[in-house]
Amino acid sequence: MAENSNVRKIVVAGVLGALSIALFLTPFGYIPWLAGASLTVMHVPAIIGAVLEGPVVGIVVGGIFGVTALIKAATAPQGPIDAFFVNPLISVLPRLLVGLAAWAVYKAFRGKLTGIAAAVAGIAGSLTNSVLVLGALVAFAAIPPAAAGAVFVANGLIEAALAAVLAAGVVAAWKGIESRGGKARLAKEE
Amino acid sequence: MRGIEYFRNISIGQYRAGNSIIHRLTPTTKYLWLLALMIASIASSSYAGALLPLAVALSIGAAAGIGPGFLLRGVKPLIPLLAVAAILQSLFTWPGDESTALLSYGPLAFTAFKARLVLMMFARTLSLMTVIGLFTSVTSEGESVHGIEDLFAPFGRLSGAIARSAHRLALAVGIALRFVPAIVGELEAIAKAQASRGADFGSGRGGPIAKARAYLPLFVPVTVRALERAELLAEAMEARGYTGEGRTRLASYPKQRGEGLARLAAIAVCAASFALDYISRSQR
Repeated sequence: MAENSNVRKIVVAGVLGALSIALFLTPFGYIPWLAGASLTVMHVPAIIGAVLEGPVVGIVVGGIFGVTALIKAATAPQGPIDAFFVNPLISVLPRLLVGLAAWAVYKAFRGKLTGIAAAVAGIAGSLTNSVLVLGALVAFAAIPPAAAGAVFVANGLIEAALAAVLAAGVVAAWKGIESRGGKARLAKEE
Repeated sequence: MRGIEYFRNISIGQYRAGNSIIHRLTPTTKYLWLLALMIASIASSSYAGALLPLAVALSIGAAAGIGPGFLLRGVKPLIPLLAVAAILQSLFTWPGDESTALLSYGPLAFTAFKARLVLMMFARTLSLMTVIGLFTSVTSEGESVHGIEDLFAPFGRLSGAIARSAHRLALAVGIALRFVPAIVGELEAIAKAQASRGADFGSGRGGPIAKARAYLPLFVPVTVRALERAELLAEAMEARGYTGEGRTRLASYPKQRGEGLARLAAIAVCAASFALDYISRSQR
């Protein structure tokens, strides 16, 4: 199969989108953090999609995640903050740009060690998510600017580090499988 | 491992099957209404403009046999939002806010400017929530996927590239929805496998760093296996000659009578909301 064929891009975008939805709908997408707040990794599939298959896949995966957040906020809000996400400029638009930022940074660092490039892309994608979502919340007067700054320091930076580790882990593992010439392991099982 | 097994039957949205005139509209018309009402609620800067979409959505819901009670059941959890937003706004100050304080306590002040921000935000959220809730109530999963393609069909006549991109996007979204149960199953299986080796998810023990580190052995295998599935599926599709060109599909959505009128009405409602906005601004 041709590397980076269109069919492959469509399918990878779909499957990573499914992973994003799955993380969003189950508790696995949240990691308990200090004082009842949680870290999230739901935007990491968008970063991985962008790194492995390019900007369009990253944007599509981010969009699927954003729209899921939008629908969930409208039909089953869990907390008061959830409700803000019925605004697509808060829930969808920033997530579209996560993959784009991750891809741009990955491209700038490509050629160096893949794992490190993926880690930096993870940081860039995650910071894009935090900054734009918080920025949009401030722009729509959901929270005051100073509160957004506090959340960014408490959550955003740690999430960026976590996204870096996860993106590097997945990309290194996946590229490793590819470069060893091993086909998908599922292919042998089924 | 409390709660690991509950996630097989998850759903997004709240589709309620029906055969009303609203249900029978084509997905394209439903999307147009969704966009028109969302734009109206987001872009309005007056209470009247932001609340018009709410009123329209409730009337459409009534025509579709979906009562206001069902559409507005998300409002109750919204009420604490008002309180939380008001408290947050009192704790911090907005640069350039010189309106009169309605309530003040020491350095904390709840000003008229902040009250307006909170109320506008609430009105906008309420409208959006109802509009999106209504859309997911009358549009099935399949319809919303096909609708993406249909929505771009008029542009597709101008350029094949747009039609192809819309088809690909619809396919990616369709695949995502189909794969959610499989991926959730995978998350469950790997969480259990790691738990049986002593990993600890979700319990209170361990510091935050330990929790984050415990996450790596769950996230990496699940993602890699998802990518393996993707590779298999892509190979299977290519082996069957899928290229994405000239696809037809089984589901078709014939236009109802009055469909064109319904589409024009969507645009009219959006315009009306902006007109209300303009009127109330010129009165202020």
